[in-house]
Amino acid sequence: MRTLLLMFSGLLLPLILAARTILVAPGTPVSSLRQAVMLSQNGDTIRVKKGVYISLNTLIDKSLTILGEGQPVLDARFREEVLTITASHVKLDGFTVVNTKTGSMRDFAAIRLSNVEQVTISNNILRNNFFGIYLSNCRFIKVLNNRITGSNDIENSGNGIHLWKCKEVLIRGNYVTKHRDGIYFEFAKKCLIENNLSEKNIRYGLHFMFSDDDTYRHNTFKNNGSGVSVMYTRRIAMLDNTFIENWGSTIYGVLLKEITDARIEGNRFIRNTTGIYMENSDRITIKHNDFISNGWAMRVLASCSKNNFTQNNYKGNSFDVTTNGTLKEIYFNDNYWDKYEGYDLNRDGTGDIPYRPISLYAQIIEQNPQSVMLMRSFIVNLIDKVERAIPSVTPESVKDEKPRMKPWKR
Amino acid sequence: MKPLSLITLCCLLAACSHSPEPILYGKDACTHCKMTIMDKRFATEVISVKGKIYKFDAVECMAGFLRENPAVANDPESSLLVNDFGHPGTFSDARKAWYLHDASLASPMGGNLAAFINRRAAEAAQQDSTAIVSDWPGFLKQNR
Repeated sequence: MRTLLLMFSGLLLPLILAARTILVAPGTPVSSLRQAVMLSQNGDTIRVKKGVYISLNTLIDKSLTILGEGQPVLDARFREEVLTITASHVKLDGFTVVNTKTGSMRDFAAIRLSNVEQVTISNNILRNNFFGIYLSNCRFIKVLNNRITGSNDIENSGNGIHLWKCKEVLIRGNYVTKHRDGIYFEFAKKCLIENNLSEKNIRYGLHFMFSDDDTYRHNTFKNNGSGVSVMYTRRIAMLDNTFIENWGSTIYGVLLKEITDARIEGNRFIRNTTGIYMENSDRITIKHNDFISNGWAMRVLASCSKNNFTQNNYKGNSFDVTTNGTLKEIYFNDNYWDKYEGYDLNRDGTGDIPYRPISLYAQIIEQNPQSVMLMRSFIVNLIDKVERAIPSVTPESVKDEKPRMKPWKR
Repeated sequence: MKPLSLITLCCLLAACSHSPEPILYGKDACTHCKMTIMDKRFATEVISVKGKIYKFDAVECMAGFLRENPAVANDPESSLLVNDFGHPGTFSDARKAWYLHDASLASPMGGNLAAFINRRAAEAAQQDSTAIVSDWPGFLKQNR
């Protein structure tokens, strides 16, 4: 056993000792990252000193630790991509990566990872790129604490963090703004997105397409073109996120389209035109969320079924729930509704008569959108009051049997 | 009074014409998938005989819509418009266009599809070995 260990350390030691550090600095023999990569071997460390370096698609094809000191700038001068990583076990930390080419035929990216595993991209600043960090066909990647700012050009902007056919990627602590979609997932599975801030992106703060079994939690999505969109995916968990100020006619806090078995828990929807919009979405649990001061807290289309809404707070929304037809198998339970006017004679904390979240006026607007001009008028209050007393038009199936008298404390 | 009413009438008639409406990129949403339309190269538009305008973010979304609305699809009077992938910006007739299905094409809804005005351009843009170029009837057959 001991001889084996000795033999082993004898084999390993030279390798460890052989791992060198290569310095890159302006005006020295090694004055570019490309030179340093050529001189290096697997396992080496490259330290890049402060300065501005032109980097026209520098290829990183060895397992290297590449550290920027004083946030050195890698600039592609709008002619190429900046960095392409094609080796596994790479760490890239502390750079400023700027000015990729923009173009219609190819997706030029600041940092591209292609067919690799175990790569960490951390503490970088990305500015003025077409795509920011582009992962294709990768596994076990970490994208940590990067600041990614796009060009805010509607016709020529790509996504901040773009994943295509990836598995088990961790995206944590990043700030993404002024891109097309802040974070974009296509065929990305079992990933975790947490503690990111995505704001003022042109389309979506976060966008899922055909991506199953992902979790996103503790993120903030603020003032993006159209909020967050989750489409054609299964088993997504959306936990403890904040969706704030996503305003406009086709703009939603969250747009759910053809998704199944999702969990939406502990989120806050504040001042959005529509908090959650659901279409063709089944078996979704919506629990412990706060809907505060939205135009429509939730718009649930008739194509949705088997959804559960429990223990949410609905406060100060113009409309709590609207729909376009007959809702089937939609269950409301134990929610707090600030518009509830019932009573609690037995003092068990839940109202004694059910609450119907779809108001008659909401139904009228559905048929006749122009009637929105009557909002908050005397006549609207009157018909809503009459309808609550003697329900006749609002759907019988949509009601909360046990509405809470007091808001849930979080 | 008369010229004024004539002008009004002209204006009203002009409003009835079935000319395509420009897509507001970053603002308009796709009729089929609800996504905001961003990419000129893939955007399409359908105008029904009655003048109703439907906008789409991708060729595959237009195909999906036509599948669900055979009345619009089969009416030769309805106009179906696509952007040329190589030279986006102006609409052309979808029925006369050529369609490239190529795994390397990242179209918005994952259909790997793009439209081209002429066949040679579609063939030149092929990258994947499994790419197929088809005309409108062939395209409809594939996306039925």
